[in-house]
This record gives sequence, C-alpha cells and structure tokens, in this order.
Amino acid sequence: MSQAAPSSRPSPRPPPLFEDAAHASAVPAPVGLARLEDTLRPVPVDAPSAPRGVWAAGLRQQLPGLLMGAASLCSMLLFWHLATTYRWDFYIRFTNIPTPWEVAQKMVEVNHSHKFITNVGMSLRRIFIGFALATVIGVALGLAIGRYKLARGLLFPAMEALRPIPAIAWVPISIMLWPDNEVSIVFITFIGAFFPILLNTISGVQAVDDVLLRASQCLGARERQIMWYVVLPGAAPQIFTGLAVGMGVAWVSLIAAEMISGQFGIGYFTWEAYSLISYPEIVLGMITIGILGLMCSGLIRFVGKALMPWLAYGARAGSMR
Amino acid sequence: MSAAARKGHVQIKDVSVRFGSKGRMTEAASRVSLEVQPGEFVSIIGPSGCGKSTLLNIVAGFITPSEGEALLDGQPIGGPGADRGVVFQQYSLFPWMTVRKNVEFGLKMKGLGQNQREAAARSLLGMAGLLAFENHYPDQLSGGMKQRVGIVRALATSPQVMLMDEPFGALDSQTRTVMQEILTNMWQQLQLSVLFITHDIEEAIFLSEKVYVMTARPGRIKAEIPIPLPRPRTPEMTASPTFQALVRQLKALIREESLAAMGGELDNGGLQGIDHQFSHDGMKALI
Repeated sequence: MSQAAPSSRPSPRPPPLFEDAAHASAVPAPVGLARLEDTLRPVPVDAPSAPRGVWAAGLRQQLPGLLMGAASLCSMLLFWHLATTYRWDFYIRFTNIPTPWEVAQKMVEVNHSHKFITNVGMSLRRIFIGFALATVIGVALGLAIGRYKLARGLLFPAMEALRPIPAIAWVPISIMLWPDNEVSIVFITFIGAFFPILLNTISGVQAVDDVLLRASQCLGARERQIMWYVVLPGAAPQIFTGLAVGMGVAWVSLIAAEMISGQFGIGYFTWEAYSLISYPEIVLGMITIGILGLMCSGLIRFVGKALMPWLAYGARAGSMR
Repeated sequence: MSAAARKGHVQIKDVSVRFGSKGRMTEAASRVSLEVQPGEFVSIIGPSGCGKSTLLNIVAGFITPSEGEALLDGQPIGGPGADRGVVFQQYSLFPWMTVRKNVEFGLKMKGLGQNQREAAARSLLGMAGLLAFENHYPDQLSGGMKQRVGIVRALATSPQVMLMDEPFGALDSQTRTVMQEILTNMWQQLQLSVLFITHDIEEAIFLSEKVYVMTARPGRIKAEIPIPLPRPRTPEMTASPTFQALVRQLKALIREESLAAMGGELDNGGLQGIDHQFSHDGMKALI
C-alpha cells in the first residue's frame, strides 16, 4: 500500500480528532475516553486506492511477467501450428488435428450459426440451475451440519458415504431417477458442485472464532441472529472457496454428462463434432468450454470480493483463503 | 442516588467449578465468594490457570457453576445477555463489520432502527475519539484501537456491569498504560460496576477499589485487598508510597501462588532437592 496516498488525496471527512490534540483537549469531552486523543496516533492505513502513477508503476512491475505470459502462449500456438501444418506423426499423431487457422475460421463461422449459440446457452442454463441449487442446499446444510450436533450426527455420515462417488458415476442412475434428460443433466451438475460447497461451508462454520460467537451472545444476539450476522459472514471466505471449487467440478460434470447423454450443450457439440468428423469444431468446443469455465470462476471471485470487502485488509489480504 | 437502588450488584457465593468427567475431574475454582458493589471497580488477580477467567465466564453466563450461585442484582445468572458488557482478551470485533457497525451490533439486536443506532454509535465513537475511523474495518486498526472499539461496543447497550478479561493483555506496555488511564476516567464518568481480570499487579491496583488475590488451581480467594488510593487516579500515583506498599504486598502474595502453580517439583524436592544435594556435594568437596 502506498504511504504517500493519504496525503496526496483530499480527505473526504473532517480532520480526524487524533491529528488535532490541542483542539481536542481544549474542548471538555463528556467522557474521559477523549483523553486518549492526546496520546494515541492513528495507524496510517488507508483504503486501497488507485491514485495516478500507481497504475504505471504497477505496469512496470508486472511487465516481465506479462511478457513471459505472452511468450508462453505464443510458443504453445506456434507448436500447435507447426505440428498440425506439417502433420507430425511420431507415436503421437497430429495428422487429423485442425490447425489454429482452421479453428479461427470456424470460430467466425459459428458466430453466425444458431446451433452453436443455442448449445452454449443450454450449457450455461444447466450450469446456473445446477450450481444455484447446489449453493442454496450446500450452504444451508453446511451451516446446519457445521453448527448443530444433531444435524451433524444425522446428516454428515450419509454425506460422507456419497461424497467419494464422482458426479459422472451418477449418470446412469440419474437418467433412471429423473423424468427427462434435461433434469438429469442438471442433477449431475448439481452433484458435482454440491460436495465442495457443502464441505467448505462446514469447515468454514467450524472455523468461526469462538470469541466472536461469545461476543455476539453478550451483545444480546439470539441463535437466528448469530447464524445470520456472525456464522454466515464468518464462514463466507471459505464458502466462496467452496463455490469456486464447486464451479470447476460442475463444469467437468456437465461436459461429461452432455457427452454421454446429452442433446444440446457445448459438451454435446464437441462430441458430436467428433462423430461427424468435423475436427475444427472439436477444438472450438474445447476452447469455448475453457473460456466459459474461466468466466464463471471469474464471476464468483468478483462477487466474493464485492460481498467481502473486509478481506482486503486482513492478515489474509489479497487472497480469499 | 442511593447505593441500594443502583444496579450492577454482582455476587458470587460459594462457587465451585469442576470440568471433565468423573475419572479426570479438574477443579477450576473452589468455594469462591466475591462481590462487586454497584459502581465498584473490582479486580481479580492470580497466577495463570487459577480460574480467574472461569469466574468471569460465570458472571458472563457462559459457565454454570457446579456448586454455589452467581447473582446479578439478586437474580441468578441464567445465560449471556446484553446487561453485562464483556471485553475479551482476544480482539473480538467482527472483522466483516466496520467500526460503527460493530458498535451498533448490540443495539441492532435490541431492535433499534438504523437511524437511532447510527446516532448512538457515532456519539459513543466521538467520545472515544474514534469517529474518524467509523468506516474502517477492524483489520485496519491498531491493537489499542481495536480494544477501545471493543470497550465502546460493550458500552453501547448500556450494561450495568462490565466484565473485562485481561483486555489489555495483548497490548504493548505504553498503549497499555494509556488504556488504563482511559478506562479509569471512563469508569468515573459512567459509574459502572466493573469486574476486571488481570495478572498485572500495578494494573489491578491502579484501576481498582478492591483486589481479590486468587490461589493456584484450584482457585480460591486468598486475600481481599482494599485499595485506598484517592480518585481520580493519575499515573503519578504509581510512584506514591501507598501504591508501592500495595505492590509489594500483592507481589508477595502472588509469588507464593506462582511457585505453587508451577507444580510439585518446586516444593516437593524439585529446587530444594537440587539445592540440598548441591550443598551436600559442595560440602563433601570442601571437606
């Protein structure tokens, strides 16, 4: 954090009492607490800000990293280009792999195709429904299991028994369980996201500092208020870790489910491209899946930062745990 | 206002606390009786592990005594509540709330509206010289400031009793001295009953009307020392003969207990044994 920042920016508040010891002690304060203004200095910690110059300095600092990142990506593209253009074949075969150029052309082409957009839309819809359900149910159960012995005793063993089964292994059962294909794919997505969210919520709840719980009780909080104002925000950083992991697993599960049992969806699109020997579309599907996954986890990080501004200052500053 | 009509009368009567199950029972406190008169500042001092925090937790309502009773204004203490403000040794501000929201918390639990809460919190923070920091998060504050916010937060619900469990234990000695002064001034203004736990002898004398000295585990009350220093208390008083005499008296009491607390090896042949053998061997060598 920049040391110069506080002085260079106009203060949004009237001058702080601490800076003005003479003035403060001249006015008799109603309670003796005011005396400490004479002796205590505020810690010069200010909200993280982006004054001009910091960006440039930051850029200069990050430049080597950015250059290396660009070089890394370019060499991957170059390798792909060379391997596919010259159809390298040495045990691992690049003969049928489309070139970057072919994929780029396809990318432009499908932008005009209704089919592609529909597939992407279907996948996103499944992700959001499955993930939203997993979030609501996972966090609610996690709060209960983390805080109440009864819930832990009754629910946790069942959860632990189901947890090691990967979401994809649920595919056949899911098809039998649910009335139509669409619901069963959403269910697979839900299963994928559910367990990371549940487990992280439980451990987040259990990690809430006991002194905060006691403090809230002393301030008159009842159980429901403790849950809402103390346990939930206290567990929030770890819940968001669970959401980020859950989102990743949800995508894995969704793509697999779409490939196996799907109609529509980006996973189905990719698999169908293979069946129809439309090779550029395979790679396009892969890239699309990657970008969608990246966007979804970015969204979670963004929401997390917006909802938990206090994390910017703590011992864990800069990370979401 | 007559003392009888005032609230904040804490009584602990013949209280014993035992933890654990039958085979491995530890007694944290044994037949302790103490009293905080309305508006009185009382400290409990003793070696670590003597159960002083246990007593405070009983008054706070976190622990139910195994025997005896704890009363607040004649009523048995049932559980934690906003009529007793607690300041903990560890920083206990909610990290996800700004300073002002922390102070507002107790009022929010009481069901006060946003405007009333905000006004009350701001005036309290103003008195404590913390208004400029109302929108800061606890992690942006120094330790001393956090503890001040903690005190302000505990005061916001206008409790009759303040329970303070080594609140300045984590602070450096300069900050600590300042905080003691703030607290003693504040106490004089607000006329609250305070039960203060510490292991710092000077701190206990400086702040209190009465100091209870506890024995090593299981904790019992070893002595009840009235502190006849005048009010207001000032830092200069710590150099006075009365203050120094009290320090010596309390130090002697505590020392006995600290030695006892360090366990059997010290009195049952530990140091003495070594000492004895050493002098014996020394004698032999000399002879």
